[in-house]
Amino acid sequence: MFGRIGGLHLFLGLQLLVALWVSLPAGRSAEAPIHFNRQVLPILSDACFHCHGPDSATRHADLRLDEREGLFRSKNGVSVVVPGSVEESDLYQRLISPHEDEIMPPPESVRRLKADEIAILKKWIEQGAPWSSHWAFTPPVRPEVPVSPSGALQARERTPIDAFVFARLAEQGLAPSPEAGRAELLRRVALDLTGVPPTPEEVDAFLADPSPDAYERQVDRLLASPRYGQRWAWDWLDLARYADTNGFQGDPERTMWPWRDWVVDALNANMPYDQFSIEQLAGDLLPDATVGQRIASGFNRNTMFNGEGGRIPEETRVENVFDRVETTGTVWMGLTFSCARCHDHKFDPIKHTDYFSMYDIFNQMSETGAPPNGRPGQVPPLLELPTPAEALAVQVARERVAVIAKDVEERERALFPRAADAPLAAAPSAQALPGKLPQNFAAVAPSERSVSALNEAIAHFKGASQPEYVGALERLVQAARERDDALRQVTRVMIMDEIENRRETVVLTRGNYEARTTTRVEGAVPEVFRSTSTPAGRMNRLDLARWLVSAENPLGARTAVNRAWQAFFGVGFVKTAEDFGVQSEAPSHPELLDWLSTEYVRSGWDTKALHRLIVTSSVYRQSSRVAPALLEKDPENRLLARGTRHRLPSWMLRDQALAAAGLLVERSGGPGVLPYQPAGIWEEATFGVKKYVQGRGEDLYRRSLYVFWRRIVGPTSFFDSGTRQVCTVKVARTNTPMHALVTLNDPAFVEAARVLAQRVLVESARDDASRIDRIYRLALARSVRADELRILGARLATLRTQYGADSAAARLLASSGEAPRPSELDPIEHAAWTALCALVLNLDETLCKE
Amino acid sequence: MDPLTEGHALFTRRQFFGRSALGLGTAALSSLLSRDGLFAAPPSRRGVPGLPELPHFAPKAKRVIYLFQNGAPSHVDLFDYKPALKQWHGRQIPDAVVGGKRFSTMTGDQAERPVLGEITQFAQHGQSGAWISSFLPRTAEIADELCFVKSMHTESVNHAPGITYFLTGSEMAGRPSMGAWLSYGLGSENEDLPSFVVMTSRDKEASCGQIFYDFYWGSGFLPSKYQGAAFRGSGDPVLYLSNPPGMSREVRRGLLDDLAHLNEIKREDFGDPEITTRIAAYEMAYRMQTSVPELTDFSQESASVLDMYGPDVRRQGSFAYNCLMARRLAERGVRFIQVMHAGWDQHRNLNSQLKIQCDDTDAPSAALIRDLKQRGLLEDTLVIWGGEFGRTPFLQGKIDDVKNWGRDHHPYAFSLWMAGGGVKPGMSYGATDEFGFNAVDRRVHVHDFQATVMHLLGINHERLTYKFQGRNFRLTDVHGHVVRDILS
Repeated sequence: MFGRIGGLHLFLGLQLLVALWVSLPAGRSAEAPIHFNRQVLPILSDACFHCHGPDSATRHADLRLDEREGLFRSKNGVSVVVPGSVEESDLYQRLISPHEDEIMPPPESVRRLKADEIAILKKWIEQGAPWSSHWAFTPPVRPEVPVSPSGALQARERTPIDAFVFARLAEQGLAPSPEAGRAELLRRVALDLTGVPPTPEEVDAFLADPSPDAYERQVDRLLASPRYGQRWAWDWLDLARYADTNGFQGDPERTMWPWRDWVVDALNANMPYDQFSIEQLAGDLLPDATVGQRIASGFNRNTMFNGEGGRIPEETRVENVFDRVETTGTVWMGLTFSCARCHDHKFDPIKHTDYFSMYDIFNQMSETGAPPNGRPGQVPPLLELPTPAEALAVQVARERVAVIAKDVEERERALFPRAADAPLAAAPSAQALPGKLPQNFAAVAPSERSVSALNEAIAHFKGASQPEYVGALERLVQAARERDDALRQVTRVMIMDEIENRRETVVLTRGNYEARTTTRVEGAVPEVFRSTSTPAGRMNRLDLARWLVSAENPLGARTAVNRAWQAFFGVGFVKTAEDFGVQSEAPSHPELLDWLSTEYVRSGWDTKALHRLIVTSSVYRQSSRVAPALLEKDPENRLLARGTRHRLPSWMLRDQALAAAGLLVERSGGPGVLPYQPAGIWEEATFGVKKYVQGRGEDLYRRSLYVFWRRIVGPTSFFDSGTRQVCTVKVARTNTPMHALVTLNDPAFVEAARVLAQRVLVESARDDASRIDRIYRLALARSVRADELRILGARLATLRTQYGADSAAARLLASSGEAPRPSELDPIEHAAWTALCALVLNLDETLCKE
Repeated sequence: MDPLTEGHALFTRRQFFGRSALGLGTAALSSLLSRDGLFAAPPSRRGVPGLPELPHFAPKAKRVIYLFQNGAPSHVDLFDYKPALKQWHGRQIPDAVVGGKRFSTMTGDQAERPVLGEITQFAQHGQSGAWISSFLPRTAEIADELCFVKSMHTESVNHAPGITYFLTGSEMAGRPSMGAWLSYGLGSENEDLPSFVVMTSRDKEASCGQIFYDFYWGSGFLPSKYQGAAFRGSGDPVLYLSNPPGMSREVRRGLLDDLAHLNEIKREDFGDPEITTRIAAYEMAYRMQTSVPELTDFSQESASVLDMYGPDVRRQGSFAYNCLMARRLAERGVRFIQVMHAGWDQHRNLNSQLKIQCDDTDAPSAALIRDLKQRGLLEDTLVIWGGEFGRTPFLQGKIDDVKNWGRDHHPYAFSLWMAGGGVKPGMSYGATDEFGFNAVDRRVHVHDFQATVMHLLGINHERLTYKFQGRNFRLTDVHGHVVRDILS
């Protein structure tokens, strides 16, 4: 921020000054400059904007403190803020007033300013009350990379990331941690980039590689792996609220997996993020849209869909449009549009009308809100995706129908005489046919008749004893059935479209679909973001998509970079990844966020390059070991004086266990699979309507990404995951007994332990120590230490005794799961090792990235 | 420290190993204890603290049992006696009463809206003279324990949004539910059980397909450890509670001892306090493996108690079973117990289904109140009985098609009852118009109801907030007034 105002030297000078002040003993009177954006604005926003902010409906005294004009207003002899003078600044005087009728915030509001908050406002006024607009609403300007204050640190700088982070550490009197051990580092980066741990052989090869760029070459290998797209797709699926069912009553299935596969492919192909965004928001509107681009547009069909009986379709349609507006706002603008659905945003400059201007953009598709008959999960518009074989099968079946239909046609001309070009329905005798035959049969050309209409006709004409005609109809119904079967094989995916005559959009009072006001709005980005170069006229989805990844949107790159940082370091620069607005937490490293954001755009939105830059930095490569003093100083590791250590996402834990056991099946794509799940979960949630039929063989061991996601009751093996009901950009990471029960007792994990045990029993040397070492190398990518070996060796002896005394239990444990088991293994020995492997798979170190 | 793990992380190594020695420790000790059945001893009551500033004032209730009746019970057939309905039976309800209000698509387009008289008989019960339907004889017997709120109203006309509104304060899914708020704010009184437990049941014939969505007990933006633990209606009540086949408790104990030891070595090496929390979580998982089966073991319940809940009490997953479980959970200090029963959505089968739902729920609900009272638990346990809206005083269907009579969703007026924990017993509060169509006197909105529940637990509903997406959210959004007249 300072860098933007005063250039590099001022910025660095101030930073150094700050560092000096921090190290000065208390009592020296030098005062740190108050930072308006980071320190003052949050207080004003939290305490004042509710009544003196962007929302015109609740604004008091016609005073806005969120704009410069209002904050420095002078009216009727009262000045709100007078730079340099707390005595003349009414804002300050009202804070400290002893009079109940003067004090702000008013006594009836629950909000109270704390003494230190009042002190900050006082100092800020005394220092001349410098003002700037909220940082996130101004496009990032590439800051200069700081010059390292010390030679020792300079030597450790590998990337500009390091320069920014080290400078901030120096400011706080901290130093970075030493580099993590090589094996530890390879495990960390492999899990981060691919979601699968390195094999012992990969670790060995890396440890034996003396070249200076050994690590970078590992990074490049991982980035090129197809596992990369499968790992990063997960975060995108959480954000896109992807699921394999609609949610709500009945929870019918839908086919969206081609969209999911598109995401994996796009990530693996390193599709530039701007293109990745445009195709998902508006791929269908691109000129000569390809099949892939139309599939990509399914991003916004991942909304839930409420087809509950008695539901008013328009209410569903409107809610889905809300979801699309709000998801787009969260993902590409880091803003909470939902507040503005009902009124002007209380804190951010998003008006009620701005919301509906965005709404107009998404209000133009053909979805009606009514579930389709027959297949309620697949809500049109749909795109057919036949494989070449399926397309051929449909064509062949149609041709066969055509041949037989010609024969039927000729017979009908003989049986029901009529004019040469007239259809069967024109024959008087055809009109006299019973039931629905006149309209469903006679009025339809033979090749187009439905199976049910043909069956009705066959039943009728059989009675009328016309065996040859009936024979022809029977051939036709058979062919029609085959044609329908061929069509049914074709995959259909939900996509976006645009209606020709655009709907007129009006503001809805409090977001109620029925409460239509007369205020008309047209597609546009929020007023606060409009400039002279914003496209004029009514925006459509494609215009919006292009704008979101243009230089005009101050948040397009920042939100993406912040999410990437969050994935690698556990928390983003902006901790509130879903909110960059005025009420958001100030970024931990604002300059680095902006540098990376501009670098991302400069590189052509090259996501793999961004990831490479991050993981090759020295900051990323630090050890995550922490000393008590540092822990006390920075418990959340926001300053990054150490590496990140946290529990892996639950889905990655499952993949890791499968990989360690050698069970992981890496075939990519296709419909979701149904691995182990306790009996009755779906049945209980759906009153027996949906039956869980567990998959077999490979289906049990596919990557977690490919597990079928029923929206009303997600897969039970995963915890702390997005619910896939609404957009989720921030990961939860909790630590509860319920989670321990999953990794202890879920059959997927128990089987992984059992198969890992037989793997080491079969593969490795016969002594216990090398087998235990092998388990560690498979599960933790490192060798076992002597103290650990002593504990585990003693446990193994106990387990052998315990299972020796209970061979029935041994046989049960040694045959957990469906994976084959070598029959020659002694069940007692196998059970003891299985229990030991289960222990290793539950070690905190195994559960954590470190 | 990560706020998500606060509480557990305050657990030091000494406490951990100290606790080990006291009952969870070595394999030998644990096997001895389990052989002697000592794990069946009274459950521990170690708590997990909530927010330091809570409660805001002395609470009347310490815990809540919410008997949620999904599908919306018909207020005009059960609690809100309106003689006018019988008088107007079959005649079009006056337009002035309906006032152009919206209904679901099931009757939204219905041209005729004839008034439908109640299908039950009403009588007054107890000292308080509460009007209660003949379909609820056991509830009628405890009328003087109950406080009826007859002037409830909401905005939702569909089930999922209506239930979500009641339980989370918002019609759209994704906000924390009441139980999550209370667990977050008040903590837990029992470290061996979740502080927020959910149990579900449905009518035996599954006449209506109301689904129990997990967002009815979700934690929204609150840390996910506050979400309700849904006890299952069959098999292990808690997912993955049982050790895998072939792993005894003794083997498990040994493995956990080493796991803790190895994790402790790691913590000393790496200094990450989260590891201590991990050890504690694994130990609680182990304790739940006994505390939950002990919880579901009804063998020590007397025959008279079991009889009171009715024959279904022995069937896991029934409403009766869940009511007895609710009492057992309340005894163990569980903060919020959400018992949900689906089956009240009588659009076309009022004459056959309403009685069946009443039969399923009447005795267990009344038994729960009596049972809590005889154990002295009713004083500080708030029990709530009610659905997400009411049902139309007019008919859905045709008046001469008696078999298929029904009532549509009705958000403009309905009834619920509360008992125990600081609520005035033997009271009726608020009133509807002569048709039971609009709540007219001392109206109580969903948010008012929520504010009142929070108040009973010692919480100012405006002050229990959580900052998310830049805004301080609360259960009652920006609304809600405590209904002081019903406080005892």
